[in-house]
Amino acid sequence: MTDHVAHEHLSTLKTEQEEAARNRAAAERGDAPLLPSERLWGFWEFTYANSALAIATWAFLIGGSVGLFVGPKEGIAAIVIGNIVGVVLTALATTTMSGRYGVEQFVALRSQFGYNGSRVVYVLAVVILTMGWLAVLAMMFGRSIDGLMALSAGEAANPTGAKMIIAAIGAILLTWFIVAKGPTSIKFFNMVVSPALVLLMVAMLYLILSHHSIGELLALPALAPPFEDKTLNFIVAVEVNLAAGFSWWPYIGNLARLTKNERTAFWPNILGIFGAAALGEIVGLLAAVALGESDPTIWMTKIAGPMIGIVALLFVAFANMTSMANILYTSIVGLRQVGTASVRAISWGAILFLFCLIPFGLVVFYPQMYDGFFIFLVWTSALNSALAGIGIADYFFLRGQKLDMRSLHGPQENGPYRFWAGFNPIGLFALAVGFIVYVAVFNPQTLASLPAFKYLTASVPSCLAAGAVHYVLTRLFARGRGWGQYP
Amino acid sequence: MENNDIAWQQELARRARIYEDVEAGDRFEGTMSTLDYCGMTVLTLVLVVGFWLWGA
Repeated sequence: MTDHVAHEHLSTLKTEQEEAARNRAAAERGDAPLLPSERLWGFWEFTYANSALAIATWAFLIGGSVGLFVGPKEGIAAIVIGNIVGVVLTALATTTMSGRYGVEQFVALRSQFGYNGSRVVYVLAVVILTMGWLAVLAMMFGRSIDGLMALSAGEAANPTGAKMIIAAIGAILLTWFIVAKGPTSIKFFNMVVSPALVLLMVAMLYLILSHHSIGELLALPALAPPFEDKTLNFIVAVEVNLAAGFSWWPYIGNLARLTKNERTAFWPNILGIFGAAALGEIVGLLAAVALGESDPTIWMTKIAGPMIGIVALLFVAFANMTSMANILYTSIVGLRQVGTASVRAISWGAILFLFCLIPFGLVVFYPQMYDGFFIFLVWTSALNSALAGIGIADYFFLRGQKLDMRSLHGPQENGPYRFWAGFNPIGLFALAVGFIVYVAVFNPQTLASLPAFKYLTASVPSCLAAGAVHYVLTRLFARGRGWGQYP
Repeated sequence: MENNDIAWQQELARRARIYEDVEAGDRFEGTMSTLDYCGMTVLTLVLVVGFWLWGA
């Protein structure tokens, strides 16, 4: 009898443990808020994770682009100024609420844009950004392979030729294969690539400094300044870096929800994202200006000679694959989270492949995107800076840092975040205003700007305008209509 | 399936209640204080102004 009771007790305990594990896994996926006891990352763990994300080959690309506009001295200043402002505003808008409540970023966004509006924002901010980056990184992979083959054969590289396109398509297919196999394979790549990229950066910096003194480097001119006005060139460089800082908006909130508390969710971004990205960009900038070439796949072969160049290019190709796998995996997990039932019904492998079709198209039909990739980056800031402004206005000034977990995760159709048919017209209008302000102040496509751009940049007014419009219209119209459970 | 849904809704309610209790008792740990926000502002201003004067 006693054995029977003990057996039953054990069986109940086992079922409870299994259910707790299932619930926790669901919370980790974002279906529920993570409880403080379930969050594992302290300050240093989050700093390491952030640094691993920030130290990627795109840092070399952004640094090289800065070198087109300004010389190293102004470039370093632009990198620091743009990144610190972008990262701080983005972290305020996303990581503080994720760190306090353990809530998934796009679930929390229901309080700002409505449950359908948050889906629209996801497509605009994450899907488009990720597709663009996948194409750019695949082309960088293709150029690395093309450069590598040219170096081995002693021929000149052809960065827009057929070899590059074939290698880039191969990179996307390989990334699809890796991600389709699941997150374990991605974790393995991350553990190897991030520390190795730090070593590569240090080695590159050593090689540059062994050929030039710091004084010589700082006095070098820009590669291709578009304007005669030096201040305007400098502000464009700051804007590129603001865009780089704001481009973390889709990603860092969901990392921060794994941290133990609000403070731990915020400060590591300064050390990890800002510090690591700035370091990588500065290396890319110095190398580009010293060697007269903004493309890392070309300056790496010049700086290191054929043998080391081949190793460096192989590594860059490998590192690109890791970054591609990371962003593809994160985006598809999120897409299934915010997607409708029909999106969730598509198999993991099929949805990954469908997602890769546009990057395929960009690689084949628009390979010029790589050389002007900063234009794409700056376009994304027109959206991300406005999203940061709305996030800060909503969470800090309208809600007093309070979110209702019950309403955010419960049935949405009749909940307080229904707004108007699941869309918050105020939030979406504020987003449109921020976007329009950005493009009016500075057109990323033509680089044409208003005189105010030289004093304000474009991301900062866009962020302020979107935040102000969201705040004022919400105060005026939302409470009376019972929208959004504003206090 | 329905049982699973009910169980999941109960789990969501449990998690929400934990946060409601923490909030009601003002027991959030490691919240950003005025000092944190001042430190963040000063750091940003020092970096922006310092590098502007040095590099621009």
